[in-house]
Amino acid sequence: MFENYIKVALRNLIRGKLYSFINITGLAIGISCFMLIFLFIQDELRFDRFHSKADRIYRVVQKLDHTEGQGENSSSNPFPVAQALKTDYPHLIEETVRFFNFQVPSFSLQYGDARFNEKRLFYADSSLWKVFDFPLSVGDPATALAQPNSIVLTQEMAKKYFGDDNPIGKVVRFEGAVDLKVTGVFAALPTQSHIVFDGLISFATVYGQTGPNFGKSWIWNPCWTYALLKEGVDPSELESQFPAFVNKHYPDFIKPQMTHYLQPLIDIHLKSKLDYEIQPNNNESDIYIFAAIGIFILIIACINFMNLATARSAGRAREVGMRKVLGAERNQLIRQFFGESLFMSFIAVLVSMILVALALPVFNNLSQKQLSLDFLANPLIFAVLILVGIIVGFLAGVYPALYLSSFEAISVMKGRIKFSGRSGTLRKGLVTLQFAISLALIIGTMIIYNQLSYLRNVDLGFTKEQVVIVPAKPPIAGRYETLRNEWMQNNSVINVATMNEIVGAHHNTHEYNYEGMEAGKWIYFPSLIVSETFVETFNMQIIAGRNFSKDFPRDDSLAVIINETMVSHLGWESPEKAIGKRMYTPTGDERVIGVVKNFNFVSLHDPIGPFLLDMPLSNQRPFWIKYIAVRIAPKDFRETIAHIENKWNTVVPEYPFEFFFLDEDLNKLYKSQDNLGKLVGYFAALAVIVACLGLFALASFTAEQRTKEIGIRKVLGASVGGIVGLLSKEFLKLVLLSNAIAWPVIYYVMDSWLNGFAYRTSISLMSFVLAALMGLAIAFLTVSFQAIRAAVANPAKSLKYE
Amino acid sequence: MIKLNGIEKYYSSGFVKTYVLRGISCEIKEGEFVSIMGPSGSGKSTLLHILGMLDEPTNGEYYFLDQAVHKISEKQKTEIHKQYIGFVFQSYHLIDELTVYENIETPLLYKKINSSERKGMVADILDRFNIVGKKDLFPNQLSGGQQQLVGIARAVITNPKIILADEPTGNLNSAQGEEIMDMFKKLNKDGTTIIQVTHSEKNAAYGSRIINLLDGWIKEEGKN
Repeated sequence: MFENYIKVALRNLIRGKLYSFINITGLAIGISCFMLIFLFIQDELRFDRFHSKADRIYRVVQKLDHTEGQGENSSSNPFPVAQALKTDYPHLIEETVRFFNFQVPSFSLQYGDARFNEKRLFYADSSLWKVFDFPLSVGDPATALAQPNSIVLTQEMAKKYFGDDNPIGKVVRFEGAVDLKVTGVFAALPTQSHIVFDGLISFATVYGQTGPNFGKSWIWNPCWTYALLKEGVDPSELESQFPAFVNKHYPDFIKPQMTHYLQPLIDIHLKSKLDYEIQPNNNESDIYIFAAIGIFILIIACINFMNLATARSAGRAREVGMRKVLGAERNQLIRQFFGESLFMSFIAVLVSMILVALALPVFNNLSQKQLSLDFLANPLIFAVLILVGIIVGFLAGVYPALYLSSFEAISVMKGRIKFSGRSGTLRKGLVTLQFAISLALIIGTMIIYNQLSYLRNVDLGFTKEQVVIVPAKPPIAGRYETLRNEWMQNNSVINVATMNEIVGAHHNTHEYNYEGMEAGKWIYFPSLIVSETFVETFNMQIIAGRNFSKDFPRDDSLAVIINETMVSHLGWESPEKAIGKRMYTPTGDERVIGVVKNFNFVSLHDPIGPFLLDMPLSNQRPFWIKYIAVRIAPKDFRETIAHIENKWNTVVPEYPFEFFFLDEDLNKLYKSQDNLGKLVGYFAALAVIVACLGLFALASFTAEQRTKEIGIRKVLGASVGGIVGLLSKEFLKLVLLSNAIAWPVIYYVMDSWLNGFAYRTSISLMSFVLAALMGLAIAFLTVSFQAIRAAVANPAKSLKYE
Repeated sequence: MIKLNGIEKYYSSGFVKTYVLRGISCEIKEGEFVSIMGPSGSGKSTLLHILGMLDEPTNGEYYFLDQAVHKISEKQKTEIHKQYIGFVFQSYHLIDELTVYENIETPLLYKKINSSERKGMVADILDRFNIVGKKDLFPNQLSGGQQQLVGIARAVITNPKIILADEPTGNLNSAQGEEIMDMFKKLNKDGTTIIQVTHSEKNAAYGSRIINLLDGWIKEEGKN
């Protein structure tokens, strides 16, 4: 019996080549999209789960709150936190481990002629492997990071520096000053980690570089700190101890503002949005967006399948009637039709596996992942494919199965079945739904792109174009002026300034005591520590008072510049009135000397808050010159950069030169939006293709069904144009209706998405109209092809057989 | 074998009843070869469908092998149908997607006969109907006469007690028609009851009895 069904299914498939092709292609595209998104989401959800103790690992994070200041939500902690926690709560905490990188953009590493700036090196405690499972291919977890001046490299790094030589025992020069011995090499590291590194240096190395008294401060908080809780310990148990912990260890002035709490390791990648993250994390909401898109595309493909099956039911009715006459019972027929649609859906599943395998390299490139269709390593894929096959087959088959099997034999024989009624309405409804989804995706894509281009072009209040950023090193502070002078020799170098973080992207908060505040108290304001040329270099505007100046040599300890929001935040009536107000720091009796026009010192997700520009004390300069910004003329910029590199190499020969453009770096702030835009765009295009495939088949089917009607109309004198219009009109009406459904829904969705940005475009009607026109044009092209074919057919031929 | 008592069939639309059959009472004995004749619209096909339990009368009693068909459930009807009745249609109604062999085999599948037995039965029939060479062809590769032959083969494979044929030669030329009618004659001789609907006096002549219908009434019954 089953064999018989398969035969019929197969022969139906071959007989209706066009339908089968469209059905299977559409469904396969739908399933492929779904699978790609599934793999993507699965990968996202797997982050940090490869550690065998992942469920017991928590990141200790810090919240520095202030009723008036800006505070911090720091993902990292002061140095002593890890050890103090371990000492104070041995019954709760099994082990802790810290990661640290001096908050510098890169470290230099040299072996022989191989000399590079490495951006992803960290110091890590030797307890690393008691907490985490980063696998080693060579080396002993117990000792690899135990001694000072040890380094463990990834395979890629070992290859980069030592080629095919055995890396173990090799000595590399670190920061031009310290020799590190390679004590281990990591095995291939899982990519699903929120901590990504190219090498880890033993934490004890830090003290060799800085002296044994380094890292005692409870204020500076650069250490990412992870705690492995003892088996069975509830994290809230530890958290409840934190107030006492803060009280015991922190300096008095900061106690009231300080809280610690714990973040589950496995939540970090999707949920954590703190300051100073090791790398930007992803948005949980993106996962939902992708999941929704995956399901929607699958629905569109299922609808094709259902529609075509019901559309063809007229042709199958006779078979149904005949089978009933021959003794088939209804449930046997139901089984037959389910069998057929399952059969088709599994063919589509097979095709989609090929499509996914082909699409993965492109998709990986887009999503910056390393996904693979590896059934052995990821048996869940198999289960999902089977499940999708069954669900799709079932969904797609349910209507034809129940509807077709309900035909009475006699009605079919007598041609009494009317197909245009109920199933026609359903079909139209489904087509409308398909187009509504496609249109919504198109509109969504357009709005995302509008927003992205808005973000790129909005006036940040400072110049980001033609700014070359050169990461610097503490030892060059003494040579900075020389370097600057050498650079400025070239007319194309407009100005040069230093800063401690990249303006527009990052900043720290520092202690201040403003005029009117109780003496001895400090609040934390976000600020950049810059050189006196900073404001000019970035074309910022001083709206009151003056800029930092060489003419005032004590500006470093006596002067700050504040932004407009700070003026209003502190209730100082006007920028002019703010000039001369007190703004103490722990190191100087500083005054406000100028007010700068507001600029976006963080990404456009957030509004502009109060902000300060401060200069480093002259004796602390090495610590604060982390980046040098060079604004250059747009003309011949390659030559200018060559000049910059040249001079760097003469003045600072011990460090490799590197640079990047500020605007490109700032664009990275919107990387996840950018990826979202791209992926949504691609999937929207696929959704449209699948929906059009369905529409095409349905149109050809309708044209076929109405052959007789068209023949009669032609005999009665209808023109080709008239008939094309007649056949197309119906579908175009549906597309218009689908606009009515899509518009309000996508407006609501995109409006709430845009609300995640402090700076957002308004949703323009243009996107909607454009999408509607696109939808109409695509639908018309799709439908009219069939309509024209039907309209130009010879009526004598179509009427002969009726 | 078959007893009809006051069978009526009408369709009501609004207040108007359109009668298709009225006051049909007759009896058909086992082994008979009955031809139902009459002009278009006289209710021949409807009567045949009622006899074949594909359609239901509005009123009246229908006994098939002493079972009251007008009282039994749909399921029982399907059972009787499967076991005793074979159908042959004017337009053959073969399943286009199945080969000759598979078309003939289909009723056996629904009777849940096992595979080896099925093979034997189909082979036997193919042999009897002289269409062994055509068994792997699809219906659209056969002439009308050949298709109808397959249609009959499919009807008789379950060894029905009665074959109902709805203008079985209506779409065929006269030579093909004769071949088909000879086949019916032969089947009748072997003991199968046959009821056919026909327009043709010539075909009716193959049977043992003629029922003439006019506007839903039995006009006359005659023996050949």
